[in-house]
Amino acid sequence: MTRFLTRRLLALVIQILLITFVVWFIFFIIATITGATPAQRFAGRYATPQRIAQVAKVLGTNKPYWEQYFLFLWHAVQGNLGYSYLQQRPVVDILLPAAAATASVVLGGMVGWMLIAIVIGSYGALRPRSLGDVLGRAFAIVGMSLPLFLVAPMLALFLAFQPTQGQLFGLHILPVGTHLFPIDGYVPLAQNPVQWAYHLILPWLALSITYAAVYARYIRTLTIENLAEDYVRTAEAKGVGRTRLLSRHVGRNVAPVTLTVLAADVGGALGGIIFVESVFNIPGLGYTGLSAIENLDYPLVAGVVLFAGVVAVLANAIVDLIHGLLDPRVRLGR
Amino acid sequence: MAILAILIVAATVGGPLAAHLTGHSPNTPYNNAVSNRGIPIGVLQHPYNADGTAHDPHAKLFVLGADSLGRDQLVRVLYGARVSLIVAFGATGVALLIGISLGLLAGYCGGWIDAVIARLIESAIAFPSLLMAIALAVVVGPGLLNVLVVISLFTWFYPARIVRSVTLAGKDRLYVQAARTVGARPRRLLLVHILPQAWGPLLVFGTSIVANNILFEASLSYLGIGVPPPTASWGQMLSDAINSGFYRINPSMLLVPGVALVATMLAFNLLGDSLRDALDPKARR
Repeated sequence: MTRFLTRRLLALVIQILLITFVVWFIFFIIATITGATPAQRFAGRYATPQRIAQVAKVLGTNKPYWEQYFLFLWHAVQGNLGYSYLQQRPVVDILLPAAAATASVVLGGMVGWMLIAIVIGSYGALRPRSLGDVLGRAFAIVGMSLPLFLVAPMLALFLAFQPTQGQLFGLHILPVGTHLFPIDGYVPLAQNPVQWAYHLILPWLALSITYAAVYARYIRTLTIENLAEDYVRTAEAKGVGRTRLLSRHVGRNVAPVTLTVLAADVGGALGGIIFVESVFNIPGLGYTGLSAIENLDYPLVAGVVLFAGVVAVLANAIVDLIHGLLDPRVRLGR
Repeated sequence: MAILAILIVAATVGGPLAAHLTGHSPNTPYNNAVSNRGIPIGVLQHPYNADGTAHDPHAKLFVLGADSLGRDQLVRVLYGARVSLIVAFGATGVALLIGISLGLLAGYCGGWIDAVIARLIESAIAFPSLLMAIALAVVVGPGLLNVLVVISLFTWFYPARIVRSVTLAGKDRLYVQAARTVGARPRRLLLVHILPQAWGPLLVFGTSIVANNILFEASLSYLGIGVPPPTASWGQMLSDAINSGFYRINPSMLLVPGVALVATMLAFNLLGDSLRDALDPKARR
């Protein structure tokens, strides 16, 4: 137990250090070599060399690289991720409200895509090669091929906008211009829960369509594998009902493995969120990151990447720890 | 397969052929393809006449409409196939090269080399790769070669993991030991006796990663940090449609690159699926 805990926590620390190092390396070394130094960027285009030197001293970028890295780490631990070049305020102050919006989008989307995946996956496993299973698998392979930055604007187009022409290929085929859902922005949960959900339905739907596919396939194969196991036959012989068999017996074996995959996907979802948030105008991490990319606001981009990266790695570690606590095979494995 | 064949034809001769037939070059903005209010013409429409009041039936047709600058969507979508395939195959190739070398090295040498590489692979897989790739791409700037390198830097660990496990399991097989006894050098052992055991899983992996890389390139180009502007690429065409806002008037601006992208992804995903069924009956997912 202790061995498992220390191993996993050590791996977590190494991963976080690696992420901070990569982010620091990308933004403070490569950026310095390929472009202007942070001090130059911060001081502005018309600053005198003396002024730049002064700023470099304040930022600590006149020190050797290794010392700068430890300074960066020390500041990050204290919750100081530097200052945005453009907005001239602490990166953390920009990140925290954005993270709340992003959490609403990602967590809600996850609930959506897991529900879809569980229904499709377990139906397909119970009745392999039935019509529903074939349709479900077709949905999965199409969903895997649909990029988020196509799904999101299509949803916005068909369910939120009132297009002026309302035509497709010059013909009135599709019911374009329904204007069912809002496209503009985000209402915090604390302010108005109903409006919050109403504004987030389309982003959730977009995430669900693109991510449900992988999980539906995954749950289907795992469930089929488990249904062939001896314990299922024993349970059936005891007279356990279908629902109880699926939820209590098979579910307990499928769920932890699926959760592990889900945690590994948090990083991917945080990358994909950029496209969703920019289309639906949600002021989250992705939206902030995108505008920072456009303005070459490196500290802010670094902050977003670092924050999202650490969250992704933490999610992985937490799920692994829980999985290890529940399942001795994982704890003692290898 | 049919879609793949079409795709390869499109990427090789389709672009220049369409450019020749329509008389539109991929990167030239045509003023007469945009209305007076700046709205690009739609699918199967003729460009406007000189004063921009009506469509001129004698001018060359824009088969799939125009983008926000008045460039021909058909020609651009075909030229975009070229960029997509170059980046996807190139990045997959580089990733396979790095992954196979490191995997063989780790599996064959064992000891601390294996420990270091295995830890590296483990942490790299937990990395949010799209985020990190975006960060790196922002800093190194747009460019075909840059995109290729950035993508391969964040995908090499999957082939490395496959090759490492195959090498670990395969290096003690009897025929490998036999080859060693007759005096085969490590290089020959690795390349002739051990590596071929990994071709099956690598092929399956390769096809699904090509699909992923096409998406990866499109994502980076969509964000404006992929292939630099005048060159046509699907991600960029999508971002042009969305950011100009004209997709609300002309949904075809979204559908043309979108359908091309989805059809390609679908083709590679289906191919990967059937390869997996054929080569790797015990595979999960």
